[in-house]
Amino acid sequence: MNRIVLTTLGGLWLASHLAAQTSAGSASAEPASTPPPAGSSVATPEELDQRVRILERKLELEAEKSEALAKTQGQAVAGKDGFEVKSPDGAFRLKLRGYLQVDGRFFLDDDSIPATDSWVIRRARPVLEGTIFKFVDFKFMPDFGGGSTVLYDAYLEARLSKAARVRVGKFKPPVGLERLQSATDIAFVERAFPTGLVPSRDVGVQLGGELLGGKLDYQAGLFNGVVDGGLADQDSADGKEYAARLLWKPFQPADGGVPGIDLALGLAATRSDEEGSLTATGLPAFRIPGSSTFFAYRADASLAGTVRADGVRQRLSPQAWLYVGPFGALAEWVSSTTAVRRNTVVADLENVAWQLQLSWVLSGENNSFKGVVPRRPFSPQGGGTGAWIVAVRASGFEADPASFPLFADPARSVREATLIGASLAWNPMRGLRWLVDYSRVTYDGGASGAGATADRPDEQALFTRFQVAF
Amino acid sequence: MKLPRPLAALALLAAWATLSSFPLYAAEKPVTLLNVSYDPTRELYGEVNAAFRAQWKASTGQEVTIQQSHGGSGKQARSVIDGLEADVVTLALAGDIDAIARSGQLPAAWQQRLPNNSTPYTSTIVFLVRKGNPKGIRDWKDLARPGVSVITPNPKTSGGARWNYLAAWGSVLEEGGDEAQARDLLSRIFRNVPVLDTGARGSTVTFVERGIGDVLVAWENEALLSLKEFGADRFEIVAPPRSILAEPPVAVVDRVADRRGTRKVAEAYLAFLYTAEGQAIAARNFYRPRDAAALAAAKVAFPKVELFGIELFGGWKAAQEKHFVEGGEFDRLAR
Repeated sequence: MNRIVLTTLGGLWLASHLAAQTSAGSASAEPASTPPPAGSSVATPEELDQRVRILERKLELEAEKSEALAKTQGQAVAGKDGFEVKSPDGAFRLKLRGYLQVDGRFFLDDDSIPATDSWVIRRARPVLEGTIFKFVDFKFMPDFGGGSTVLYDAYLEARLSKAARVRVGKFKPPVGLERLQSATDIAFVERAFPTGLVPSRDVGVQLGGELLGGKLDYQAGLFNGVVDGGLADQDSADGKEYAARLLWKPFQPADGGVPGIDLALGLAATRSDEEGSLTATGLPAFRIPGSSTFFAYRADASLAGTVRADGVRQRLSPQAWLYVGPFGALAEWVSSTTAVRRNTVVADLENVAWQLQLSWVLSGENNSFKGVVPRRPFSPQGGGTGAWIVAVRASGFEADPASFPLFADPARSVREATLIGASLAWNPMRGLRWLVDYSRVTYDGGASGAGATADRPDEQALFTRFQVAF
Repeated sequence: MKLPRPLAALALLAAWATLSSFPLYAAEKPVTLLNVSYDPTRELYGEVNAAFRAQWKASTGQEVTIQQSHGGSGKQARSVIDGLEADVVTLALAGDIDAIARSGQLPAAWQQRLPNNSTPYTSTIVFLVRKGNPKGIRDWKDLARPGVSVITPNPKTSGGARWNYLAAWGSVLEEGGDEAQARDLLSRIFRNVPVLDTGARGSTVTFVERGIGDVLVAWENEALLSLKEFGADRFEIVAPPRSILAEPPVAVVDRVADRRGTRKVAEAYLAFLYTAEGQAIAARNFYRPRDAAALAAAKVAFPKVELFGIELFGGWKAAQEKHFVEGGEFDRLAR
């Protein structure tokens, strides 16, 4: 069509030019059909046609060249999901992400148990992840927060099918619900008590996948075994820890989309054989971040005075979440039972922790386990408001009464701790977050005093977080 | 311990039954070859592959599938060097296969492994013009005239284009001209080239289907094929008085064939090109067969052209280094 238009216009112009010449020089008129003189810059219709054809062909060849190039050249992409390079067929992909969390910790009325108000780099984590050969994923995530360097995640995962993924390396064992939630998506600055009873990171191998059209997630793994709340790069004993989890999502659609009612009911368990020593007892201690320890087993490096793990440790954790529109609820209960020994005395001690967390997205976006994406991102030039989320929680920790007084000092370790808290989060845009939360922890026991053990003083804290994640 | 007679018989019977259940000839599993070829050989290898498949199956019982890749000869060579797993290459000129040999995928003396320097057929370079030859094109010098639009592919990517270029250059030398005159002719010819395709087939599309240009400098086989496909009422062939003997070679890519276990089939495939059937197929597709009987029997009116060989330029290595490397003659005259 372009060729016809151009040649027609060229012909018309030529005709008009010739007509003008004819009318201007009527005394020595030339026939209207006389072609332009040789050497004239006037293009004939045939020449115009050729030029158009040449242009079209060049465009065609350019398009072919681009298409061929696209097949062989990788892509580099930078955007809200980080920085990525990938091969044309997607079989090889390297992605650089990361997140930075700068926290402020301010302890209120802390004369009795002084705690330092401080700004801290809570997490500074570059994340290198990618895919090789289309079906093997990898992730590498060190952390430089708090002035130390720790390798948190380093694993390979072969995606054999939706129902079978084999993961090998260091990663979160499939146990604690809030532990499994990304640190960038949790509703409060710090996770609640149950997370202190489950492993943080461990090294092992795990088989997992989705069954029943995505309604049932399963994971089963064999790990080195770490203390409650702990992480380690290698084992200190031969015993290994089995971990397994089932998560049933009855309303999960088969296409993998987000259901209107996002309900998940899960059960996780671990079992291992632990053997601590006088210097590495294999037993946990618990504290509020930034504050002092509120529960620990007796340990003075002597045989008579040190409690160590000596036998089976097993954990059980029913867990659930429910997200409907802006409303969200998360609940988990963890029981961690460890066989302990102090000299010749043995016992199975069970610590229990629980939490119930409720949240509401004030700006109306959908709430989810994986965080809230603002529908109308904030902009200083007059954009939207971002996403605002308010949350409340209650959490409790109960030490096994049989721990006292032989295995834990009642003047230093609490019998119970109860936390209540509230938070406000603002996600101005995807990748940015500001969070502030208030918590109050009350204790039973844990302090010395006249007669029976006194209660450790309550602790109140105001934490805030500035976060960037990409 | 001696077996009781009935038990021995039973054992023998069982052994015989077992052995006889194996076929006398265990057919080898199917094999696939990749033939990386230059641009205008689609029709040729379409016919060659069908014939070879049938012949190989009949003689060995093995199924063979031959996949084809076509493109500018230089581009194809680079693809093989960069990792395209070709079992065989059938390219436009020896220089491109030499480049693959330098990457270590086949020996430097590859050309001596098959007859006639591994070229089972030849061709030359002619002109395809519009019917009636309105621009009166007869010789290489006519391509340099102002107002003549010449279609030829890019010598950087196309082996055919390099044959075209050397045919024009060589024609000047053969007529007693010198390098400066040859350079001047090529310079003026390339000033008349409006579109540079990457391969010979692309140039045919440009000239024949897109209707661009006054003359297509083409492989003889490509020109004859165009007459056959698009009608002798639209185009005609003009053979210049002198042109180059184009010898497109073939070779097994040893590293790939050995790693994939396809050497036996790959060698047989290339050997097939030299058989009577292979030579007849070449002739039917307008290539000049090496076999004199096949050439005589071919019902093709190959134009009469005085041919000179690549030896005029000291061989492909010398020609490549002088004309087509970065900063060579072509780069200088294209500026």
